Amino acid sequence: MITLEHYLVLAALLFSISVAGIFLNRKNVIVLLMCIELMLLAVNINFIAFSFFLQDLAGQVFVFFILTVAAAEAAIGLAILVLLFRNRGTINVQDLDAMKG
Amino acid sequence: MTFELILFYAFGAILLGAALAMISVRNPVHAALFLVVCFVAAAAIWLLAEAEFLGIVLVLVYVGAVMVLFLFVVMMLDINLAKLREGFTEYLPVGVVVAAAMATVLVLVITRYITMEVPERAGPEYANTEALGAILYTEYVYPFEIAAVILLVAIIAAISLTMRKRPDNKSIDPGQQMAVSREGRVRMVSMPSEKKRAPRRSAQGSGSGASDDDASK
Amino acid sequence: MNFEIPNFLPAVPEMFVLGMACLILVIDAFLPDSRRDITYGLVQATLVAAAGLTLWMMGPETVLTFSDTFVKDPMADILKVAVYVTSFLVFLYARPYLMERGIHKGEFYILGLFAVLGMMIMISGHNLLTLYLGLELLSLSSYALVAFWRDSTRATEAAMKYFVLGALASGLLLYGMSMIYGMTGSLDIAVIAAELTAADESLNIPLVFGLVFLVVAIAFKLGAVPFHMWVPDVYDGAPTAVTLFIATAPKIAAFAFLMRLLVEGMGPMHADWQGMLIILAVLSLAVGNVIAIAQTSIKRMLAYSTIAHVGFVFMGILAGTDSGYASAMFYVIVYAITAAGGFGMIVFLSRKGYEADQIDDFKGLAQRNPWFAFIMLLLLFSMAGVPPTVGFYAKLAVIQAAVGADLVWLGVVAVIFSVIGAFYYLRVVKMMFFDAPKDENAEPVQPSGALATALSINGLAVLALGIFPGLLLSITHYAIIG
Repeated sequence: MITLEHYLVLAALLFSISVAGIFLNRKNVIVLLMCIELMLLAVNINFIAFSFFLQDLAGQVFVFFILTVAAAEAAIGLAILVLLFRNRGTINVQDLDAMKG
Repeated sequence: MTFELILFYAFGAILLGAALAMISVRNPVHAALFLVVCFVAAAAIWLLAEAEFLGIVLVLVYVGAVMVLFLFVVMMLDINLAKLREGFTEYLPVGVVVAAAMATVLVLVITRYITMEVPERAGPEYANTEALGAILYTEYVYPFEIAAVILLVAIIAAISLTMRKRPDNKSIDPGQQMAVSREGRVRMVSMPSEKKRAPRRSAQGSGSGASDDDASK
Repeated sequence: MNFEIPNFLPAVPEMFVLGMACLILVIDAFLPDSRRDITYGLVQATLVAAAGLTLWMMGPETVLTFSDTFVKDPMADILKVAVYVTSFLVFLYARPYLMERGIHKGEFYILGLFAVLGMMIMISGHNLLTLYLGLELLSLSSYALVAFWRDSTRATEAAMKYFVLGALASGLLLYGMSMIYGMTGSLDIAVIAAELTAADESLNIPLVFGLVFLVVAIAFKLGAVPFHMWVPDVYDGAPTAVTLFIATAPKIAAFAFLMRLLVEGMGPMHADWQGMLIILAVLSLAVGNVIAIAQTSIKRMLAYSTIAHVGFVFMGILAGTDSGYASAMFYVIVYAITAAGGFGMIVFLSRKGYEADQIDDFKGLAQRNPWFAFIMLLLLFSMAGVPPTVGFYAKLAVIQAAVGADLVWLGVVAVIFSVIGAFYYLRVVKMMFFDAPKDENAEPVQPSGALATALSINGLAVLALGIFPGLLLSITHYAIIG
């Protein structure tokens, strides 16, 4: 039997991996964007698991919309990335020295 | 161990392995491909939770469109791989510690405090897509409309941010080519016929003079 | 299957704004660059008409529609009107800035209008799903707006930073929402509140756990300390016209988001989130006010000042009383109007190739133009909370609410940091009135057109609302308590 904990632990581990990825790839914007996609995937697993165990479709509807928004977000994020590359010739965050933390 | 559980562990292991590989590989193209593996494995796990429609949407929309967009951008940009890796080892301890702490707390809370009874499997007559469609266009029609607006905003934003007219663009416009008429290309110029055959050099001179004349008209 | 056609009437302002936004988008595509004023005029007319519609439909009752995903109540109506007014001012101030720099494009107004729609959806959200989608509509439009000056490398970098942190915050928010959904079994705000009241002890820990994610995500989005790192960079890097936009109206929507999610939805867990908000509020007040002193760029200074103001808004909400919510609402509306004037002043002083974004640029403003130095004085006094400007009453109301909730020490902390904060506002005032202009030959500032008139009205409004605070106070009181 696959229990709720199975799904939630899997999602939690995936979520932690994506957080680690954000830390490790701070300087690499494109992998950063992928880590955010991974984080949303973890959240989606959570919603789908709850939806199944509660026998309530609202969770799946939420996932449907998260997928939609994430696609829109990816489009805008990549557009900004392309713009950044055109302006600076790099996507390395370290080179973004015009800003001080 | 049931067959379902074996499938769950198998796909779960693939998912976590691919995720770990994604955050640690050197080449962004490989990272994108590992993310594709993650999505496919996650889709399989969603099938186990009776979310068939979303599982197939994840593969079709995510792997088919969003990840292709990612790959397209990665390959379009000329990325310096060596530079991107700078700081990876520097942040490694912090990242691992934070993620490990987070994972520990999350897993502890989940395993200690959250349990729910496993529901009965739906029978073969249950159609997930139909059930989802029935509430999506009725109960959730308002969020549905908002999602449409969000996609519209994404279109506007992506176009307005990246579309530009390149000054060095030498591509041809078929519309203009088709619109060409005889008048735009050839013009008959009436000239007095020449009596004598001029020496070669002066003929050239008068020839170029005529074309200059043409241009100025 | 039983399905009734929902009641569309309460959502008429949203539908109107959406319809107009799509219409203007099409019209704008056919306009030559020289006729962008038509787009501008249409967008402003839309905001005015939407305000008219919202006011006309205003009523004391709470109406739910679209299967309870949408709510229309007095708070929603009043906050929407505040959003329209602030956005109207923002577009008015932004226009000359964009024209002088040759980036007067239709997308600015259209994306702005979509962001306004996102704010309206947040304000009227009565379901985790609609709240999330409204927030994303606002955020995605804002990311694009920050990057909208394509030739400005600083703006692009700011947009990238804003995007990454915004997307991260959305991820955290969603994780929190998934936990709340799992534990209560519903996405509906009212059902969640009912379930939480009925929930037994064993669910407490997972719920608090989900709550932590929600609060951290909100803190990220609002820029509360310790999740504020992006605020100064983004406000500084974005074109001033865009900073003007993202620093004002969205805060009103964020207040509504907090009210719907924490107060209406998670209200039964007030004791749990109160502690988290106290930490955020104290840190924001401290860091915002102290670090602002060290800034030389006025945009960064105002960014830190925003962080401190967010601390005040949290203070009003965490009090957990109706008067606390009303005071926070009063505060956020006052903040939006004052900040619009403050950033508008930077736009007013800037010219092509000269941003006027350093504090030094304000030196000797009184000699160059005494009237606008006076207007800026009023705006700064209001931010600092000096009577008789309205900022004083806003701070007073929030501190009273905290004291009323037996958090006297928090009130004292707020007063201390406000006094520290007053220093950097007054420093700018001193530079304007007592220092010589940075450039000896600085020409007098020539007031021009609508911008000058609107700025004057904005500055005087801050004074007038301060002399007669009763009106706005009673409006916010009505919105919360009825």
